[in-house]
Amino acid sequence: MVLADLGRKITSALRSLSNATVINEDVLNAMLKEICTALLEADVNIRLVKDLRENVRAVIDFDEMAGGLNKRRMIQSAVFKELVKLVDPGVKAHQPVKGKPNIIMFVGLQGSGKTTTCTKLAYHYLKKNWKACLVCADTFRAGAYDQLKQNATKARIPFYGSYTEVDPVVIAQDGVEMFKKEGFEIIIVDTSGRHKQEESLFEEMLQVSNAIRPDNIIFVMDATIGQACEAQARAFKEKVDVGSVIVTKLDGHAKGGGALSAVAATQSPIIFIGTGEHIDDFEPFKTKPFVSKLLGMGDIEGLIDK
Amino acid sequence: VFSLFRGLVGSKNLTHEGMQPVLDKLKDHLIAKNVATDIAHKLCDSVAAKLEGKVLGTFDSVATTVRTTLTEALVQILSPKRRVDILRDAMEAKKQGRPYVMTFCGVNGVGKSTNLAKICFWLIENNLRVLIAACDTFRAGAVEQLRTHTRHLNALHPSDKHGGQQMVQLYEKGYGKDAAGIAMEAINFARDLKIDVVLVDTAGRMQDNEPLMRALAKLIKVNQPDLVLFVGEALVGNEAVDQLVKFNQAIADYSSSFNPQLIDGIVLTKFDTIDDKVGAAISMTYITGQPIVFVGTGQTYTDLKSLNAKAVVHALMK
Ligand SMILES: Nc1nc2c(ncn2[C@@H]2O[C@H](COP(=O)(O)OP(=O)(O)OP(=O)(O)O)[C@@H](O)[C@H]2O)c(=O)[nH]1
Ligand SMILES: Nc1nc2c(ncn2[C@@H]2O[C@H](COP(=O)(O)OP(=O)(O)OP(=O)(O)O)[C@@H](O)[C@H]2O)c(=O)[nH]1
Ligand SMILES: [Mg+2]
Ligand SMILES: [Mg+2]
Repeated sequence: MVLADLGRKITSALRSLSNATVINEDVLNAMLKEICTALLEADVNIRLVKDLRENVRAVIDFDEMAGGLNKRRMIQSAVFKELVKLVDPGVKAHQPVKGKPNIIMFVGLQGSGKTTTCTKLAYHYLKKNWKACLVCADTFRAGAYDQLKQNATKARIPFYGSYTEVDPVVIAQDGVEMFKKEGFEIIIVDTSGRHKQEESLFEEMLQVSNAIRPDNIIFVMDATIGQACEAQARAFKEKVDVGSVIVTKLDGHAKGGGALSAVAATQSPIIFIGTGEHIDDFEPFKTKPFVSKLLGMGDIEGLIDK
Repeated sequence: VFSLFRGLVGSKNLTHEGMQPVLDKLKDHLIAKNVATDIAHKLCDSVAAKLEGKVLGTFDSVATTVRTTLTEALVQILSPKRRVDILRDAMEAKKQGRPYVMTFCGVNGVGKSTNLAKICFWLIENNLRVLIAACDTFRAGAVEQLRTHTRHLNALHPSDKHGGQQMVQLYEKGYGKDAAGIAMEAINFARDLKIDVVLVDTAGRMQDNEPLMRALAKLIKVNQPDLVLFVGEALVGNEAVDQLVKFNQAIADYSSSFNPQLIDGIVLTKFDTIDDKVGAAISMTYITGQPIVFVGTGQTYTDLKSLNAKAVVHALMK
């Protein structure tokens, strides 16, 4: 994750504060520049980066502030508050409830990793003895049903789909109904990739959502995405009630900073990250522990307001 | 008193300091348009170097001069130094009695298989017969995906419209097998059956995954395709740089030959999903110096375009 990787750079930028004999506007600006460059290199949305810079600057009034230590602490804590804002939307993710059907719908851009991640999530619950299953409501992409079927079969997860039905709404509804009757607890519905520029695809997503009334809609985001993420994420959220984010492909070199703007745009927390193509390459993501781990790094411990 | 009028009548030399505020703004602008930060820096530096010490025209402002120079530089980057003429080269290969071979590579989910199918459609529209080699033997559904495309494409171009000849065939050996070997068999199969073009689909892979990068290098070394196309999505941010550097490097390093083959061209996909954030086009061409051969602009067979450098630069500078 971007913030974890940035940890070192930020620590060193902040250390420049401790090393400086006087903390003035120049020192602050130099430090902010360093941090902002690092964030931009990690694809964090440029507007979020600018906000961060402004917000930190706004906190610090050099004329009014007295001692060096005070300034230092204030700057450091302001930086951290802003960084935390990037990953923590301040809301809790939906928690599935045992013994009842929890319907989870996957949405996202083309090729972001939805189908792969659906199986990973179902498998995650299966291992914890939940009754989990998969519904393939992607009737558009060539081979989509085969893909889900092969993944599900390998992991021994019950699945539903069709080679002949072309309406994803019908499949989603039928699949969910069937599995509900059979007492499944985690019913995951995979959908086609789509983007905001094609209204009919967005309309279809809304219809599927209206038909199955999901308990949680997960927006799947690829860690390599750049500045285009924000507008897409916002548009998804405006169309359907996105409640969580999963960031995939974090096994590569990408730091996932672009995907972070999905957190801000959807006001939804990251709940899992994907770290490979295999079914086990999947980790729960807990915002609060992640943040405290980040804050616990080196000499930046305890800087956030208590 | 006279110094008051100097700015009006005299000429002015461009200095680094004078240009800095304009350059900083432009750099942020490029980054916001999804040009990789490092490349945005370099571009602005090169504009500064080019203009420093030059005399500013009487009616020009620093801002417009810098903008114009940057715009020119961007057009330059996107203008292909080399034309890739697939149809001509395919005909040439045909004369030599061998199939023309194109390999598609790139990271996961960028659109390799889909754009391979679109290019296949374009080839058969140009009356070339195609063999698709299913060399992604890893990802679930990869073979069926190509089989579905093959069926659709043949339905669009039935053999009775082409003198009884089937225009597209699929060469597949299922999952789990060695991709390089399947590609070789496919090429031989195409040669025997006098099929004009072989399109080799490969599995998506992360540029840091050494075993998978080695396997790709092997596939390319063993089969020496006429064209190695890197497929990258227009959505990608700073990773564009790392992807291209490392794919090129891997193909060169692991191929252990004196004159290693490199990426010959780029397929830029999902161009329909980015509005005016077209910066990835710059990042990719800047790094490789190779042309963007195709632009993917949607999910149907006709959503394949060639790059309009001027339009891209216009969107970029807007
Ligand atoms: N390296 C890596 N690859 C991944 C990860 N998650 C998914 N992939 C790969 O990304 C590619 C696309 O994944 P899919 O699951 O097909 O994506 P999708 O969102 O369902 O795609 P569409 O249905 O076409 O929109 C496949 O090659 C997956 O194996 C991950 O965490 N790491
Ligand atoms: N909007 C849009 N979607 C595209 C474009 N090209 C491909 N796609 C979609 O992107 C998704 C992934 O495409 P694939 O062709 O399966 O990608 P891939 O690179 O072969 O994926 P792997 O083999 O899993 O690595 C599919 O949903 C395609 O329909 C494009 O130009 N525009
Ligand atoms: Mg899918
Ligand atoms: Mg593929």
